[in-house]
Amino acid sequence: MPTDWTPAALSDDIPAASAAPGQLGPHDLAIWRSASGRIAAWADRCPHRGMRLSHGYVRGERLSCIYHGWGYGEGGQCVRIPAHPELTPPEAIKVPVFRAVEASGVIWVAVEAPEAPPPEFPGFEAFRSLQVKAAPEALAGALGGSGLVVEAALGGATVVALIQPLRDGAVGLHLLAPEALGAAELDALSVAAEALRRRVEEGVTA
Amino acid sequence: MILYDYILSPSCYRVRLMAALIGRRLDLRPVDFHPGQEHLSEPMLALNPAGTIPVLQDDGLVLTESTAILTYLAAHDAPAWLGEDTPAMRARVAQWLAFAQRLTDSAGAARAHDMLLAEGEIAALRGQATQALRELEAALSAARRRGEGFLAGNRPTIADIACFPHVALAPDGGLPLDPYPSIRLWMRAIRALDGFIEMPGIHRLHELKPEPGPMPEVIRKEKA
Ligand SMILES: N[C@H](CCC(=O)N[C@@H](CS)C(=O)NCC(=O)O)C(=O)O
Ligand code: FES
Repeated sequence: MPTDWTPAALSDDIPAASAAPGQLGPHDLAIWRSASGRIAAWADRCPHRGMRLSHGYVRGERLSCIYHGWGYGEGGQCVRIPAHPELTPPEAIKVPVFRAVEASGVIWVAVEAPEAPPPEFPGFEAFRSLQVKAAPEALAGALGGSGLVVEAALGGATVVALIQPLRDGAVGLHLLAPEALGAAELDALSVAAEALRRRVEEGVTA
Repeated sequence: MILYDYILSPSCYRVRLMAALIGRRLDLRPVDFHPGQEHLSEPMLALNPAGTIPVLQDDGLVLTESTAILTYLAAHDAPAWLGEDTPAMRARVAQWLAFAQRLTDSAGAARAHDMLLAEGEIAALRGQATQALRELEAALSAARRRGEGFLAGNRPTIADIACFPHVALAPDGGLPLDPYPSIRLWMRAIRALDGFIEMPGIHRLHELKPEPGPMPEVIRKEKA
């Protein structure tokens, strides 16, 4: 069970009033942002019949399930069952919630709030998330480092690579780029990231 | 215009979707593709010896490639959907129409394998589809960096409509879309277009549908 913050997505990839799937160790997450901009990470399973809530839709401050439209608000509490609009849903109908905070354009998640806030990377901004079919150590090694936070030279820039262990032999690579880069430099960085992924997936170590 | 059509075919849906977006009415002729194999019947083979659908017939013209049909519909009724009239943009659109064929041959074939028990080396098909989806994700993330939400500029074109169905249905072929944030946002933008129509497995953006029934709070207040 992770005891620290895990990077799960980039803030820009989940705009207001949208939901996306994510992972935290063994848990599938529905990461969603309310219309007013609040980010949340919940279990990706509707308490009604188990549909993925990440396929759901956001109206205002509620996330609703795509299947039968049950709506969930603050703290994962079910607040609406369309088939019984007169019913106030029982308190027991609740989606398990995880911790979610944003820092440096990254959405960090945890099971229980870690003591320290997630790291900040002044001078960097979120760039791209890619999925790589490799072990975390192999990816860190290919970046010339170790651990899950690696500062590396890539595509002519210095980047911060946040590595998120995923299930089924994959990792998330959340890249932060220096703030000052122009469009052409960012394109070069993107190409370099794709090349890095090819190398790591082919098992070629740096 | 007559469209020989099958409701579950992503290539036919390309055409129906394009027509709906530009307000072109089509005379639909349903073909019993599965299990009837009607696309291989003599009358259908006379129309299209390749034995594929969709087929569009209009004024003596017979078109058997869905991307060519998209080009025809747009040129006929709504040329803005062809993309900006510059050499580079026309070429970019053509490039994506060819890419859409790669999606048909990889993600589409993987889905046909999983859903219709079609022949195919499933691991290889998924590998090719993953490669294509990664290329699409990279292109769409670059477009976002330039403030563009679509494949060829800042407005939807036939390129987007050609690529959309097989991408949206990729999970049916064992290809989850979870790893592709820019593809997810692009699909949202397409599903939100005025005139968008659905097919089984592809839905209009739910957020845009009216909320059924009143909220419980409202009812409680009325009762109190
Ligand atoms: N000509 C291609 C064919 C598209 C295609 O593969 N259509 C499928 C149905 S979704 C088909 O007709 N398959 C017949 C076969 O492979 O026997 C197009 O219009 O894009
Ligand atoms: S499964 Fe979610 S509302 Fe029924």
